[in-house]
Amino acid sequence: MFKKNNFIEHSIQGVLSFLKDSIFSEEVALKKGLLQSLDPRIKVLTFLVLLLQVLWLKDVRILMVFYGFCLALSCLSGVRLWFFLKRTWIFIPLFSLFVAIPAIFSFFTPGDAYATFHVGGIKFVITSQGLAVALLFVGRVLTCVSFAVLLSLTTRHFELLKVLRIFKVPQIFVMTLGMCYRYIYLFVEIIEHTYLAIKSRVGVSVHTQKGQRIVAWNIANLWTRSYQLNEDIYRAMLSRGFTGEPFVLNEFKIKTKDWLWVSWVVMVTFLFIFLNAHIKI
Amino acid sequence: MNNSIFELTDVSFSYLNKFPALCAINAHVKPGEKIAIIGANGCGKSTLLHLLDGLIFPDKGSLKVFGRELTEDAFDDEKFSREFRKKVGLVFQNPDIQLFCPTVKEDIVFGPLQLGIDFKDIEKRLEELINVLGIKDLLQRSPHQLSLGEKRKVALASTLIMDPEVLLLDEPTAGLDPLTTRHIIDLLLSAHAKGKTIITSTHDLHIVEEISDTVFVFSHEKKIVKSGSSAEILKDDQLLRDHNLIHVHSHHHKGAVHVHSHQHLDHHH
Ligand SMILES: Nc1ncnc2c1ncn2[C@@H]1O[C@H](COP(=O)(O)OP(=O)(O)OP(=O)(O)O)[C@@H](O)[C@H]1O
Ligand SMILES: [Mg+2]
Repeated sequence: MFKKNNFIEHSIQGVLSFLKDSIFSEEVALKKGLLQSLDPRIKVLTFLVLLLQVLWLKDVRILMVFYGFCLALSCLSGVRLWFFLKRTWIFIPLFSLFVAIPAIFSFFTPGDAYATFHVGGIKFVITSQGLAVALLFVGRVLTCVSFAVLLSLTTRHFELLKVLRIFKVPQIFVMTLGMCYRYIYLFVEIIEHTYLAIKSRVGVSVHTQKGQRIVAWNIANLWTRSYQLNEDIYRAMLSRGFTGEPFVLNEFKIKTKDWLWVSWVVMVTFLFIFLNAHIKI
Repeated sequence: MNNSIFELTDVSFSYLNKFPALCAINAHVKPGEKIAIIGANGCGKSTLLHLLDGLIFPDKGSLKVFGRELTEDAFDDEKFSREFRKKVGLVFQNPDIQLFCPTVKEDIVFGPLQLGIDFKDIEKRLEELINVLGIKDLLQRSPHQLSLGEKRKVALASTLIMDPEVLLLDEPTAGLDPLTTRHIIDLLLSAHAKGKTIITSTHDLHIVEEISDTVFVFSHEKKIVKSGSSAEILKDDQLLRDHNLIHVHSHHHKGAVHVHSHQHLDHHH
């Protein structure tokens, strides 16, 4: 399987640092920018409204306006454009491969031929209706993903969890999410430390097969460890008076700026509802 | 009113009925006492503290708290459970376990919030504690991303903020720098001066004298082999050596090999 020891090393460390960077660095959320300064409750609600609109939009041009709006917001919030594009476009090939590309052909979307070619004696027809559908689809996915990524980038994770609690999402769900987050971090740490421990004891050149065994054993062991951890954490919570329903601190405050933002989003919403109803494709 | 906080008679406990962790412990703790629990690794110190905090329950023997038998059923009584958690606080040996909230601040206020203490009061206490412990800058950080010593301080704050009558501390100074150790001892001593009962487990012999009047020495058999005043125990070299608390240390001294028992003054693990 693994030809080189380095492969394990690189892949482990690559995955770990990617995870740490993408999930745990709250670098952007800690910056001072437009979206960071909004009340998280307001932010989550308005983003939901925006996302719903994107799902309802039927016109690619309006969709593009939305996408541009999203990019503008990300710039105003101190997100580097290139970083943001990388983050969001990463999802596109996956979707286009399975949904958008098949949709452009006449098998799936019958209509006027836009281009025709033959592969191995089979005639492929790309229809202009198919293209429009695919374009709209990709545009929607891209815009939705961008808004979602922007929200999670500019909001600290614990704030998102708290908002869920305030919006009466069931406790067990929010707690599980929070624990997952913590566990992933701990897992990453454990793997990283175990890896370093192996390296410090055995040296860099772990024999490939042995290396694989150690990695496999550790993955299995992780579950046992996490079970023990779970129990211990539960005890620690009991010790501090936990009885099943934790009380959350609600320190969020809605400021004038938040109301400005809300009225802005409401205006945009009505404008687009109007446009969506009156524009003929 | 029964004048004792903890009364243990022949208490035994084993993990999963397989790994014995405490054997026939007898002990008595009175209000306002300072007690240190010392002993080698794995002799049952943490287990005893968890038992005293009502997190695990004896397999055999009886454990009374404030004159009441402490059993799992006792905690079904909500009033008792709340009172007990308010009165007894435990600082865990592993701060990673104790800290489970997304931010340091939330972690510190978790306890009092659960116990329904007024938020104004909580904020006031929080302010005092973070100043004493010097952790103001950490409040918005994630607890799991702190250094060990920082975590320990946060864990300590999260227990101290509940202002418990009985403080159980599991190796509170392990891995801390000397100045921080000093701060923590001072904090404990001032709590004691206010009439709190303090039970500390430690390997750190040079803090024992300050943080305790009475010392319980645990043996490898998971029993208390000796309890006595701290001065008396600290003088007993043989006892300490038998329980891994000091070791014979030889070194060259003016050309001759010189052997004496040795207390590590900067003992870290
Ligand atoms: N979760 C567990 N499952 C099984 N055995 C355990 C568990 N926790 C502790 N033990 C065992 O119980 C005994 C007492 O452990 P304990 O943690 O109380 O020791 P300790 O005195 O606190 O040691 P240390 O100085 O290393 O912290 C040890 O022999 C240990 O192996
Ligand atoms: Mg211990």
